[in-house]
Amino acid sequence: MRTQSTLDRAQSANNPPQSPLKLRGDKRGVTVAVAGNPNSGKSTLINAIAGTRLYVGNWPGVTVEKKSAMFEHEGRRIKLIDLPGTYSLSPYTQEEIIARDYLVKEKPDVIINVVDATNIERNLYLTVQLLELGIPLVIALNIYDEAEHMGYKINIKAMEEMLGVKVVPTVATKKSGLDELLKAATEVADNPSRYQPKQLNYGEDIESAAVSVQGHIRERYPSLNNKYPLRWLAFKLMEGDSHDMEEVSLNIDASFFEKATAHLKKAHGDDIESIMADERYALATGLTREVVKRPEVRKMQITEKIDRVVLNRFLGIPIFLAAMWVVFKLTFDISKPLGDWINDATAGPISRMAAKAITAVNGPLWIASLTTEGVIAGVGFVLAFVPVIFAMMFFITFLEGSGYMARAAFVMDRAMHSMGLHGKSFIPMLLGFGCNVPGIYATRTLENPRDKALTALLLPLMSCGARLPVYVVFIGAFFSAYAGTVLWSMYVMGIALAILMGVLFKRTLFRGESPMFIMELPPYRMPSFRSLMMHTWEKGKHFLIKAGTYIFAVSILVWFLLNLPWGVEHKKDSYLGKMGQIIAPALEPIGFGNWEAASSLVTGLIAKEIVIGSMAEIYAVEQEEEETTTVSEDLREMGTTFITAIGDSFRNVFATIGIASISAEEDAEQTGLKSVIQKKFTPLTAYAFMAFVLLYMPCVVVAFAMKHEFGGWKWFGVAFAYQMFLAWGVALLIYQGGRLLGIG
Amino acid sequence: MNLAMLKPGEHGKITKIGAIGQIKRRLMDMGVLVGEKVKVEKIAPLGDPIEVTIKNYNLSLRKKEAEGISVEVAK
Repeated sequence: MRTQSTLDRAQSANNPPQSPLKLRGDKRGVTVAVAGNPNSGKSTLINAIAGTRLYVGNWPGVTVEKKSAMFEHEGRRIKLIDLPGTYSLSPYTQEEIIARDYLVKEKPDVIINVVDATNIERNLYLTVQLLELGIPLVIALNIYDEAEHMGYKINIKAMEEMLGVKVVPTVATKKSGLDELLKAATEVADNPSRYQPKQLNYGEDIESAAVSVQGHIRERYPSLNNKYPLRWLAFKLMEGDSHDMEEVSLNIDASFFEKATAHLKKAHGDDIESIMADERYALATGLTREVVKRPEVRKMQITEKIDRVVLNRFLGIPIFLAAMWVVFKLTFDISKPLGDWINDATAGPISRMAAKAITAVNGPLWIASLTTEGVIAGVGFVLAFVPVIFAMMFFITFLEGSGYMARAAFVMDRAMHSMGLHGKSFIPMLLGFGCNVPGIYATRTLENPRDKALTALLLPLMSCGARLPVYVVFIGAFFSAYAGTVLWSMYVMGIALAILMGVLFKRTLFRGESPMFIMELPPYRMPSFRSLMMHTWEKGKHFLIKAGTYIFAVSILVWFLLNLPWGVEHKKDSYLGKMGQIIAPALEPIGFGNWEAASSLVTGLIAKEIVIGSMAEIYAVEQEEEETTTVSEDLREMGTTFITAIGDSFRNVFATIGIASISAEEDAEQTGLKSVIQKKFTPLTAYAFMAFVLLYMPCVVVAFAMKHEFGGWKWFGVAFAYQMFLAWGVALLIYQGGRLLGIG
Repeated sequence: MNLAMLKPGEHGKITKIGAIGQIKRRLMDMGVLVGEKVKVEKIAPLGDPIEVTIKNYNLSLRKKEAEGISVEVAK
């Protein structure tokens, strides 16, 4: 049912850009769909072909990522569509349904099937299913260099003949074979009749049943004739996979199919779906045996050597934890100097220059204030943690691309499972540390709705990059001597509470069996730098756009809330101040029952990093007078501090492991905010405040992501309620507990 | 004898897949088929899941799923 509506939307969304493309006479545009297994190097191949022309969006109606590109290749318009990576075209996972619906309904001119040359047999299983569709196909025999290196000899000619398709060896990471691949694809698309893929023989029993089903369809439902590839449709109906095609299943003649498949079932003693899967694999295995010559002596692969250590009984967990720690440390240390620089530059020289420019043209004081305290401060706070987000995305992409992410899931599954989750839940959770939003979207890798909902519910407890600016300021103000430890404790607190809540949810909202865990452990591979940068950029850009719009708008809104009603003298009497005063008493027992903290927390509901921006705004009145400087001095200051910042970043990369470089940065200019915070908070209330910011409700963008992913507000409502309660409770424990122990 | 009972390093040959529906299809899609040779490589540090080699690649699955896969021990 869901698929049907998805398809309708997919069609209406995809048709308009397609029609002009097809009307170009002999220089017809070519629509190329790229299909392949996960870990076959498909996204690297797409990146290598399309480069910056790649457009990343979503499949209509669902939130699975859709990459596409339009470009000219040797005078031809090529439209490239990246299908989700799948092992099969079964009707069970969202990715598989999207891939096959696109192929069946949109009928691309040609499919590029990316096949991992080091793992041909399993990859060909998908190829066999793609061939059933009757769409012209070209195989990109990817990772070809590695296969050669391992001693495989692949007879490409034989492969082409047996499948009736073109086969092009490629090495996507080295960009080799890509021109040939595109050339083959356009040639095949131009001569579909010459390159009709072979219809592989599924054996007498299946074939004869399929023939009678095809006849039945042709006779009874002639309207379906041109709509679907008939042989494929017959297979699907036999497999009992008809629920995806409403129009067929409505009229299905059950007794006919019973009769047509009775012999097949009896002779093979299994359900038809399994008989078909068996036969497809038999074909893949047979083909592989014919075309691939394996090396006589199998060398121990590098992957095995690494896994012997990384998945070791005793070392596995410590290595995993160490890897995570290094990732965070690196992320933080590399990005901090740059973030600080952006912060200082916008708060100092840029604001001064803007103010000067406005006074020079006799602009009113409130415009100068809106520009510097609203616009520039807002943009500055957004940009200041862009380096953190990008660094985080870079390392997470590296973990994914290198193959370690699957090991992390393997190592962690038992632990995740005990809180009712799947080892794969770990990946969205880990992404959640970068930003909860991509984490929520990544829950779609979980096939089961139950796993997915529970993961999304616990995910906001993962301390995201947007919470980092809050920690950075508070740690800088109170805990710079043990910055790393205090920061680490925030992350650990989130994880510990997620475990607790997971166990709780498992016993209440999510009772029952937890679903399957069947996952490939791909070979370790060094991701190409280019591909790494592109993925980082794609993910980072998404964040930047989100930050740029939401946070900037909110920053302006906050300025207005602070400065309205017109002529308000003290921030306390502004709208925001009044809101803060109402909430403050509720925060009294947890250590920060003042209107300033309460007001900033209100703005943080929109996005947590804004808490700091708002504080800066609220406390701005109390900042000391700035020194007078000339424009050229300002520019020079920005330049020299930038060079220092870059130098610090590079130094930190090498200094990171084992050396606490955060605490060594005493010379870094403290912003006015830090000194104000030192006056307003104690170390104890600061820590309680950090915990509160970690836990209280997910931001608005997460709210929209959850609504989007789950098609309603239900799960967000649950998340909001339990997190508010949790945040207040934990902050209370910290503050009151701390006071009992005589701290603060 | 089922797959979960094999020790790391032991080989087996699959004789029956007990699972049904989506899990069965998923296993078959990943190459877990009757007659296939399988080798248990590792058990995760926390005791579950397990890693096996099948069709020349590495697959991990939980013991609970492995218990549904009957094998005969091969030497």
